Order: sequence, then structure tokens, then C-alpha cells
Amino acid sequence: MKKYLSLVKLLFVQQYKSRASSERDGRKRRVGTAVLYVILALCFLPIALSVAVAIYYMGKVSGGDPYICMFLTLMCQGLVFMFGVHAIMSNVFIVKDADKLLYLPVRAPVIFLAKLTVAYLNELITTFVTVLVILLPFGIGAHIGAAYYLLLPVALLLIPMLPMLLGALVAMPLSALIARFAKNSVIKTVLRIVIYALLMALYMYIVYRLGFLTGSENGNILDNPEAYAEDILRELTEQLSKVMVYFHPNYLLVRAMTGDTFVRRMLYLLASIGENAALLGLVFAVSLPFYRAMLGMTADSGGRRRMSGYNVHSKGTVAELMRTDLRRTVRDSQMGFQSFAGLVIMPVIVVLLYFMMGLADEGGTSFIELMRVSPLYQAIAPTVILIYMTMLNNGTNVLGLYPISRENRSIFMLKCLPVPFGKILLAKVLLATAVMAINSLITCVLIVALFGLKWYFGLAMLCQMLTLGFGSMCITTLADLKCPRLGWDNFNQNLKNAKNSWLAMLVALVCAVALAAVSAPCIVLYALFGGWYWLLIMWLVSIGLGIGFAAVAYRIMKGKAAYHFGKIEV
Amino acid sequence: MIKLYDVSKTYGKAKEKAVDSLTLEIGSGEIFGFLGPNGAGKSTTIKMITGILIPDSGSIEIDGVNIADDPIAAKSRVGFVPDTHDIYETLKGIEYLRFIGTMYGVPEAVLRENIDKYADLFEMKGALGDMVGSYSHGMKQKLSIIAALIHDPQVWVLDEPLTGLDPQSAYRLKKLMRERADSGNTVFFSSHVIDVVEKVCDRIGIINHGKLVAVDTLDNIRQSDKVSLESLFLTVTGEGE
Repeated sequence: MKKYLSLVKLLFVQQYKSRASSERDGRKRRVGTAVLYVILALCFLPIALSVAVAIYYMGKVSGGDPYICMFLTLMCQGLVFMFGVHAIMSNVFIVKDADKLLYLPVRAPVIFLAKLTVAYLNELITTFVTVLVILLPFGIGAHIGAAYYLLLPVALLLIPMLPMLLGALVAMPLSALIARFAKNSVIKTVLRIVIYALLMALYMYIVYRLGFLTGSENGNILDNPEAYAEDILRELTEQLSKVMVYFHPNYLLVRAMTGDTFVRRMLYLLASIGENAALLGLVFAVSLPFYRAMLGMTADSGGRRRMSGYNVHSKGTVAELMRTDLRRTVRDSQMGFQSFAGLVIMPVIVVLLYFMMGLADEGGTSFIELMRVSPLYQAIAPTVILIYMTMLNNGTNVLGLYPISRENRSIFMLKCLPVPFGKILLAKVLLATAVMAINSLITCVLIVALFGLKWYFGLAMLCQMLTLGFGSMCITTLADLKCPRLGWDNFNQNLKNAKNSWLAMLVALVCAVALAAVSAPCIVLYALFGGWYWLLIMWLVSIGLGIGFAAVAYRIMKGKAAYHFGKIEV
Repeated sequence: MIKLYDVSKTYGKAKEKAVDSLTLEIGSGEIFGFLGPNGAGKSTTIKMITGILIPDSGSIEIDGVNIADDPIAAKSRVGFVPDTHDIYETLKGIEYLRFIGTMYGVPEAVLRENIDKYADLFEMKGALGDMVGSYSHGMKQKLSIIAALIHDPQVWVLDEPLTGLDPQSAYRLKKLMRERADSGNTVFFSSHVIDVVEKVCDRIGIINHGKLVAVDTLDNIRQSDKVSLESLFLTVTGEGE
């Protein structure tokens, strides 16, 4: 037991430890992290509040119906499950610390149980938030007695059990799949994202199906909201009574929380605890052999595969520099993930924007359709979207933001290569631009398709994004070269509070102001007198300025490369 | 050939010079052993010879090319084996060698031939398809040695090259150093292992607190002092009696 508790403490604390070089640095990082969490909490507060208010009304209408309470418990568990599968895969099955744990005089089941416990403790945090936002407002709305609130802490402890155990079962095959690609961090990263997206889609689908049942006999929600809500809740109750058997521990827990007598509550509670414990035992028995197998795979992977043959194909210096840099970045799990995230973030935002603005309202008209009616839509929309995309694109491209810092201790290699420093930097900027080009192309295609812009405006936006991106990355590359953050052990932590992403956004902001200054007179003239040539002039001038900006930024970067490279002492 | 003339280097705002007015000439066909206690300035000197650091004053010539005037030409004549193993861990061994070969402009056929030759010599052929990150300390060292030789450099600079090598590989490396020197190239290496320096080098230099305190052939040192290299080393670095 002592070993188990020590392991739990070690594994739990370890995941929150920062690798600060000094106590002062560590304190600064802790304060920074706390501030970040506060900002995140403030960002999500409006959503949480609106959910809480909706649930409050749900409680009010349902009057504390146990099936509705069970539906809400399932919602909580769905969230825990969605986030939990990923955490269980990372913390339990994908064994990264085998070399540190295998030599300890601790049996594998104890290590496994400790890891499961840590996963459970992590999920308690998610559960706490869901209980606060969902179950608490429900109780208040339904005017349930004090026993409900007294049992909420018990519910907090029991709610993560079922999703965690289901998560362990789901995580096993997925972990095995990911482990097959242990050598290829790109595929591994993509797989993780796909799994996460699938789980999220599944969750949304289930909530949508259960929460938006359409069988109301009382017409539109606006005509008679209370009757509409009652209909929906009645149908929900019917549906849940059919599937209740599959979530029996939950059913018992909810019965305990909403029961009418003390004895009944206690009996239901004990039964729920018993069922959860039995499930835990079952899953432990099933997944322990799998954990052992994964542990064995990790320990055996020290032996290398024999190579049957290899190819040597030399390319030009810049191409080889780019290729090597790309390989190194995408094969590093942290940098690979950031690059991939940077690649998909803009297209995802465009799609989300479309869902926010492009879906038709009750009258059958969407916001985009309303805007498209305006004759100025094709003139103004591309410029506005371009400004927004340039800022986001430049600020999220990790390849262009920290090209020197990511070299870390290997920077000495670049310094002793017989290649001009300007060429090395050019390769880095070109690589970042090439990756950004893919992102920009997808984004522009999506914008043209979803927002109904003319294709030639999409093309002009693409050209402009590339020139501005190239110029901006020349500046951020030079900034990183001037003050590189080298000697790190953890790339993400090293770049906390790094100024380059802010610098990139600042540069993009300046570009945006210049774009606006060029575009505004042309758009005004177009609005006053008409004539397509005003828009042509606008795009030609702004693209010309973009090319000029890129050329000047490159010249500055190239001119100062040798000086700043020389100043880096390793 | 390597020529250092009155070379000095101070790191940042440090008061003491890491290398202080170092003047040294190492000819072609010579193996030069560079000795010194920890922090004496060996690695700093090597980093200046390879172009990683820029000297505060003085000049360095590699095969007649001043590294400050034409760094690219000077660097292309040097093959460098670093003392750290911070080489690109997320590349495969073969990808790393190809990268280095391309940077030094080695023609494809020559690159293939040299990789085969040196990978065979150090028994690395089977591991070149694996990630560098999965290599042991010694294997990374061997990869660095192969990478430093694939462009057939006139000057071979090795910083603590024997660290982590197994006895067979260490023997092959010493033999290779002799072969390269015999074919007219310059070999400059630093080591803590005095026995190896004693056996392999034609000439040695001892650096202490950034200053060159002794430089000569081994025979001359022995004739004049009648003592072992170890005793001499300890004496000139202030540790001997």
C-alpha cells in the first residue's frame, strides 16, 4: 500500500512539475500558468454560465425527474469520457516511463493501479467542473431537498468511474494502434487528433440526438416554450428508460440522489458503489495483461531493427536544409504537434465561422446570404478576412516563429557548416512559407466555397498571404536569431512567454493597417463610381506592397545573418 | 595545415580569457594532440578553428584560407567531431550523413562510397536506417566520426573522440588518424587520455588557463625532461611537484 501511494503521489505530482532552471524561474512560470488558467476560465465563463442557466430551467421544468438527472449525469460522464480516453492512453497504456519504473521493486499490477488512480484523479477535475455547471444548477432549479446536495460530493467521486473504465476499454485497441506507429510521430500525432475529433463528434451526436428530440406536439419553441420543453423532456425520459440498463451504476446513483427516503437513498448508493467496484475489478482484470504487453513492447524496443539498404540522393543545399529541418520538426512530438495545429487552425476557424454565420435562421436566410446581397460584399469581405487570417497565420506558424530556438544545442552544427548563414535562414523561412502555403491554400479554397467569394479574390488573397507571411517570417527569424532560447529540455516550456508570436502579430497588425490604408480609398471609389478596375488597382497595389515588404525584410535578414550567428556562443 | 596567430577569446562579460594570445602552427601530415585540464580552453580553441566561435582578436588559417575572410572555404576544408552528442536525434543515421554530405557538396557517388567505407569500418551499416535518438553514446560518436570524414577533409578536428568508443572502434579510429596524417592531411585532436596522446601524436600542445604552456614533439619533451608525459602534464598545469 505504501508503494502504491508513493507511486500515485510521484506520478500525479510529476505531471504538473515544471522544468524550471531556478526557483525564481519556477515561481515565474507558476504565476504565468495561473494567469493563463484564469484567462481561460474567464473565456469559458460565459459558455459555462449559459449552460448552467439552461440546466437550471431544465430542472425547473422537470421538477427533479430522475431520468432527466440521469441524462445530465450522462452528459457529465460523456465529457469525462471524451477527455479521459486520451488521458488514459497517454498516462496508462502508452508507456513512456518504462525505463524508470521497470527496475523498481514494485509489481506491475501495483504500477498499473497507481497509473489508473492518477488518471482517475485527473478526471475528478473535469468532473468537478461538470458537477458545478450541470448537476448543481439542476438541483437548484428542481428545488430538490438537502440530501441531493449532501450526495453531490459522493456523485463527484463516482461519476468518473464509469467513463474511466469504459475509456480504459476503448483506449486499449487505440493505444495498440498508436504504438504501431511509435517510430513515426507525425502519424502518431494525426491519429491522436483523429481519435479526439471522433470522440468529440460522437459525443456531440449523442447529445444532439438526446437533447434535440423533435417530437413536440406543441409546435414552435417560441409559441409555447414551457409546453415545448415538457414535450422534449417527456420524450427524453422515454428514450432514457430504454437505455438505462446499460448505465445501471448511474441509474442507482441518480436514484440515491433523488430518492424519497433515507433508507432507499443509502441502499441505492451502496448498490451503485458495489456495481462500480465490480466494474473496476473487471476492467482491471482485462486491461492488466494488455498493460503488461505494452510494457514489454516498450522495453523490447531498445533493440534496433536491421536495415536492409539505404538510398543516397543528394539535393541542392537549400532543399536539403529545408528537408532536414522539416523532418526534424515533424518527428519531434512537441514541435510536430504545434506545426500540425498551426496547419489546421485556420481551416477549422473558417469552418466554424461558416457554421456561426452561414446557417439559415428560422426565416431561411443566413447572415452570409444577407451580406452577399450587398454590392460591396466582394470588395470588403476579402480584405477583412485577409487581415484576420494574416494575423492568425503569422502568429501560429511555429516553423517561422522559432527557427533558431528549435535548433537547441545542435546550433553548433549550423555554425560549422560551409554554408552561408543567409542561405540557412532562407531555407528556414522558405520551409515555413511552404507549410503556410498549404494552410493558406486550404483556407482560401474554403473561404471561396463557403463564403461565396469570387475565385480570383481567393487567388489574390493567397498571393497576399504568402508575401506577407514570408516577410513577417523573415522578421521573426531575425528576432529569434538575435535572442535565441537555446539549451532547453522541453520545447513548449522553453517558449512560454516568448515574444516572437506577439512580434509576428504586431508585424501582421502593421501590415493590416497598410492593407486597410491601400484598400479603403479604392473601396470608397468603387462604392461611389462602380467599375471593377478600382478593385483590380486595389489588389495590384496591395500585392505589390506585399512583395516589396517581403523583399526588404529578406534583405535585412540576409544582411544581418552572419553578424547575429557569430554572436551566438555555444 | 592550421595556423593560429595571437588568438584570444573571452565569453560574454567574463573577466578571464578562455583563450589568451594563442599562437600555434600545425603542419600537413601531422597528428597534433591538444591537452589541458577541464576549462583550460581546449574546446574553445577547437570551436574557433571550426568556425563555431569568432575570436575576439587574432587570426586563424585553415590550409592557407583565413577563416574570417572566407569562412565558407575554410569550413569546407574541416571535418569536425564534437565532444557533445547533440546531433540531430530525430533524423535517421543515413539522413544525417546525407545532409552533411550535401552541405559539403560531396558528389552522390563519392558520398555513397564514403558512407559505405566508413560505415563498414565502424560497423554502423546496419544501424544507419535507425533514428539517431535510438543510438547509444558510442554509436553517436561513430556517426559523428563518419560524418566528419565523408567529404574527405584536409583538416580533421576531433574533440575528445575516444569517449564512449569500444576498444575495437578506438583502435580503428587511431589507425585512421595515422592513415589520414600519412596521406598529407592534418589531424588535430584533444583528449584527456594521456596514454593515447602519447602513443598517437607526432606533436603535443598543453594549454592551461587559456595559455599555451608547452608545445613540442614527444621525443623532444622526453629528452629534455626525462619524465613521462603525465608528469610533464601535471607539472606544467600546476599539479605536479
